[in-house]
Amino acid sequence: MNPSPDVASIAARVQAYFAGRVAAAHAAPPGEIHFDAPLALVAGFSGHLYKKWNARLVSVFADDVRAQTRAFHLYYVFALDALGVFCVLRAPVPGDKLEFPSLANAIPAVDWQEREIQDWFGLKLVGHPNPRRCALHDHWPDVHPLRKDFDLRAPLPPFSGESHKFREVEGEGVFQVPVGPVHAGVIEPGHFLFSVAGEPVLYLQLRLFYTHKATEKLFEAMPVTHGVRLAESISGDSSFAHATAFCHAIERAAGVEPPPRARALRAVCLELERVYNHIADIGAIATDVGFAVANMLAMRLKEKVLRTNEQLTGNRLLRGMARLGGVGLDWDAARTSALSSLLAELPPEFESLVDMIENSSSTQDRLQRTGILTPAVARDLGIVGIAGRASGFCHDLRGNFSGRLYERAPFRVPVYQAGDVKHRMQVRVDEVRQSFSIIRHFMDDLPEGAIRAEIGGLPADRTALGWVEGWRGEIFHWVRTAPGNRLARCKIKDPSLQNWPALSHAIPGNIIPDFPVINKSFNLSYSGNDR
Amino acid sequence: MNLNLPAFLLQTALLLLLSPLVTGCIRNWKAKLQNRRGPRVWQPYFDLAKCLRKDRVISEHASWIFSAAPCVLFFSSLLAGLMTPLVTTSPPLSLFGDALAVVGLLALGRFFLALGGLDPASAFGGMGSSREMSIAAVAEPALMLSIFTVAIGAGSTDLGRIVTVAQGPGWQLLAPAHLMAFAALFVVLLAETGRIPVDNPATHLELTMIHEAMLLEYSGRDLALMEWGASVKQLVLMAILSNIFVPIGLATGHSISDLALGLAVFVAKILLLSAGVVLVETVNAKLRLFRVPDLLSAAFVLATLALFSTFLFGIK
Repeated sequence: MNPSPDVASIAARVQAYFAGRVAAAHAAPPGEIHFDAPLALVAGFSGHLYKKWNARLVSVFADDVRAQTRAFHLYYVFALDALGVFCVLRAPVPGDKLEFPSLANAIPAVDWQEREIQDWFGLKLVGHPNPRRCALHDHWPDVHPLRKDFDLRAPLPPFSGESHKFREVEGEGVFQVPVGPVHAGVIEPGHFLFSVAGEPVLYLQLRLFYTHKATEKLFEAMPVTHGVRLAESISGDSSFAHATAFCHAIERAAGVEPPPRARALRAVCLELERVYNHIADIGAIATDVGFAVANMLAMRLKEKVLRTNEQLTGNRLLRGMARLGGVGLDWDAARTSALSSLLAELPPEFESLVDMIENSSSTQDRLQRTGILTPAVARDLGIVGIAGRASGFCHDLRGNFSGRLYERAPFRVPVYQAGDVKHRMQVRVDEVRQSFSIIRHFMDDLPEGAIRAEIGGLPADRTALGWVEGWRGEIFHWVRTAPGNRLARCKIKDPSLQNWPALSHAIPGNIIPDFPVINKSFNLSYSGNDR
Repeated sequence: MNLNLPAFLLQTALLLLLSPLVTGCIRNWKAKLQNRRGPRVWQPYFDLAKCLRKDRVISEHASWIFSAAPCVLFFSSLLAGLMTPLVTTSPPLSLFGDALAVVGLLALGRFFLALGGLDPASAFGGMGSSREMSIAAVAEPALMLSIFTVAIGAGSTDLGRIVTVAQGPGWQLLAPAHLMAFAALFVVLLAETGRIPVDNPATHLELTMIHEAMLLEYSGRDLALMEWGASVKQLVLMAILSNIFVPIGLATGHSISDLALGLAVFVAKILLLSAGVVLVETVNAKLRLFRVPDLLSAAFVLATLALFSTFLFGIK
């Protein structure tokens, strides 16, 4: 639990650079450095971290602490990937001047997150290039649901505001093609407005947040043990990853570490979630170019994983397995042998699926050079996860931020520069192969012992960051604890929130019928984005 | 004018009753090749019956064209079918027109189908219509040239005459010209019936649709007529493809045994062709939309070569 020398020296050097105007707070969980700085210094601080420490801003959020300090707190979470350290900067927004400077001009990656703060907390953005409503749609009444004085059950005033005005693209032969928010097929709502000249797309506008459920507010209304179940429902396909990220945050706030066996089982479950989702995506990409045979094979493989999940945890989507302090269920010999037989059967069948797709020239023709997201754009937008790694982003929290979850696991981040649909599929293929060997690594040498550590009473007013590299990308849960085993604030950062804007940049220049396959190659969560 | 009423009625019944089965077989077999159980081969009949019973929902922006299009498509396909030899060498309406009339009727149906897609002014319908017409611009010439290849050999554009001559002695089934024309016409068949690699009949993605996009606004009876018309059109194209290139088994007389044999051979040929379509649909992904014209141009070039070679080598 001692802070590593790295952490102490980084804190000292950053403090020295700012000559005392930035204070490093004590009692941060291991691997985190907490700084306090005035609001005016935020831009300078992030500039310094970006240039000097090669940091990236992974999350920006607010916290209403007016009851204690008459101010809102803004938090900026930076990842120092090379060092495996998170810097969390806290800046107060005084209660009598509810505005904060935008970083979006320098760091476009925070665009939506800053606008969320504006919508949910009523803090006005200063200097944002596009400070319109984002998370709450334009016709919402003037309410700020994440403020503490907003009652979750309060009836909302009528929705009467003006409806959203999309940007207009003009020119001879330019048409607007609206798609959604209700789609054919069983998917969630999202509105896409294409501006097209013939078939080629000139411009794509996204409108999301139709499934906003105030999940972050709901966490404040329940004991932490119930929070695990809520975290499972943030994004159904990442149930285990989100729940584990939540548990990770709570455990770090409590200063408890899960026993080795629990950590190994967690890692295996995370990889199982990755495997079934990646296989499903590979099949779905094939479907969207009309190659149904590959999809049917993929569905069969996915079903095998889901059935094994059920044998292992009692639930096909691994729900109920995540618990505070460890996992919910120990695996006996019957369960581990079910997993072994899956590991014996699945890899060769997966290779035949990959072969089938790679040997289909008509499929390859559709995937190559389709929906290119260039590394430069991906870096500016802070694109993470699969989409990021297909466009030159060489980070994976399983590497430097393993949090003692993936220690010694055989693992290499697959990185490509091409950024097209084919390479987003290739990242998935590489990761599935690695997942097989990671699972084998843990199962060959599964530690004995307890599967859960007791959390006990959660100390009040602690903050901690929990994270997990979910199959889609990095997931963060940040918590501030309250007395009585409750949370004062839980901030959820799903990779979808970071990655959705990439779609607008990957589409232009492609033709409209290629949109579904490009969208599928990103496969972002609506629910995780909207929360 | 000697309209043979029983033949007319029998062929109408055959077209209407057999065409959904072909669609059903293709769907079922495709599912089998994909490791799925698939819908019953009879499912299209139930779908049609269901749609015929249902109410229609018509966009308030739609004009009379929207309601007229299904009838035009349905009856133009049916008429084209009545001019095509299916079981016997003499189709019931052969007096009224020849191969050109058949192609024209199919084009008329397509024209109204595209208008029906445009009429309610929905984005998807318009996209479907524009794609359909740009594909048809290449597919139609290929269709005509393929038919002309055999018409020249037979010395007539009358489909009945063509199959009669083709059944006679001296007709080379496997002449290069015929093979090339057959291949060209097969590609046209895939395009005209909205099959992979040109269009994906099984997709739910509106943005990628061609044929289905034009049908999105249709419901109830109109949808049934559209679907049925499309099935009949598919059967007609298959009949042309199988009968003028492989005129084996067509009944020349009108005795019951002749007709029964002719029917059996016809159904067998159509199902064999359907199996070919199923195979092509299963092993291929859909082409990128802008590459569809490449495929159809290849068909057009094949058909042109076939036509030239009939002059150069004088194949009969």
